[in-house]
Amino acid sequence: MIAALARPGTSPLHRIAAAPKLAGLAIVATVLFFVDEPRLLAAAFAAALVVARSTGTRFAEIGRDLRGAAVVLAVLGLADWWLIDGPTAIAVVLRLAAIALFAHAVTMTTSTAELTEVLERIFGPAERLGLLDAARAALTVTLALRFVPLIVEEANAIREAQAARGLDASPLALAVPLMVRVIVRSEALADAIDARGFPPEGARRGAARHIPARPPSP
Amino acid sequence: MSDTSPERAGGATGAEPGTLSQTIVFSDASVVRSGRTVLDRISIGFEEPRVGIVGLNGSGKSTLLKCIIGLVAPSAGAITVDGRDAIRDARAVRRTTGFLFQDPDNQIVMPLVAEDLAFGLKNHGFSAAEIATRVAAALDRLAITHLRERRIHELSGGEKQLVALAGVLALEPRTVLFDEPTSHLDLKNRNRLRDVLQALPEQAIVVSHDLDLLADFPRVVMIEAGRVVRDGAAREVIARYREANR
Repeated sequence: MIAALARPGTSPLHRIAAAPKLAGLAIVATVLFFVDEPRLLAAAFAAALVVARSTGTRFAEIGRDLRGAAVVLAVLGLADWWLIDGPTAIAVVLRLAAIALFAHAVTMTTSTAELTEVLERIFGPAERLGLLDAARAALTVTLALRFVPLIVEEANAIREAQAARGLDASPLALAVPLMVRVIVRSEALADAIDARGFPPEGARRGAARHIPARPPSP
Repeated sequence: MSDTSPERAGGATGAEPGTLSQTIVFSDASVVRSGRTVLDRISIGFEEPRVGIVGLNGSGKSTLLKCIIGLVAPSAGAITVDGRDAIRDARAVRRTTGFLFQDPDNQIVMPLVAEDLAFGLKNHGFSAAEIATRVAAALDRLAITHLRERRIHELSGGEKQLVALAGVLALEPRTVLFDEPTSHLDLKNRNRLRDVLQALPEQAIVVSHDLDLLADFPRVVMIEAGRVVRDGAAREVIARYREANR
């Protein structure tokens, strides 16, 4: 998980609009998946480090933001080493680490509002085909960014409460109350989003898209 | 305000406390959920600058507030805000009526403070220039400009509640509905919120278990099992409420 959110700044990446940055990230990530040569991947990783640092973020902060991703990469690398061979494992880890660093640089220099607007434009064609509601799909991504830290907090609170009552760490015992809390929170959140005027006036296509008031029971 | 912005809903940062208001009318409104009557044929009007609502948990207080902005539809009867139907004209009602939820974490949508304040304004079609002006004004009004670029998950509970309120005030509503606004706050932040509430030019309808918060209100309504059982001056209604729940 990349636990980063935009930070204000004046770096070159901050001055680039969100759409080209996201397009660039997609292109770089795609190209890197066709590269297998470890030396080239090492060069890409070094370049990614430079780009990430150029946003004004210190290496310690980058490391903190990416520690979740680092754990996943370590496990993946060890598995590849054991199942395939060393050079493949190194290539996989360098490739994914470079992509994670480039993605970090983009998220650090792009506000959530900009990101949401770009996503709405990306989802626009699918909306015109009647496949989804672009404003809601973009909001879903935004909510994910907003609520990951909150869900982590909730999980910690549940774990502490269970430990206080003598329960050892158990994924199932954590998952069930966490899911219940998230569902309850999502209902309250839906009310709040409605109350704040969502969906945007321009995005509304008709009454069918408007979230109706909760109907009373028959 | 720019030409592209919607009509100014009202509200002002320099106005006297409680000088803005709307007439909110419940006409024989009932809400039934899962076979349970949550609100039972309520007929009441609110036009005072400050109205408190008290009642035990599950008495229907929060549902009553949600009905005002059309978050909950009545099973029978109607609710109007300045003559507009709360369900049919929900968007117009929500432009002039803000809602502060009990838990700010359920209200704040965007990850950064300034972005969250802009969220409601964007939804209501304000121009970028107007959004910037209103966000700055709302932050300044609550003296939290220093939080502008902060990440929401790094704020304290009190700071989050003020950010949520700033998001509501940025829309310059005429009425703000408060649903137990102090229940997550420590004493210092509760006092701060009370000061903010007292100074608001907007009409405030406040559901709360914090009886001190409502003590100076000109009108307090007591709800029990979905019905209005007391309605009058704060001192009298609060005394009855305390007495009834010893």
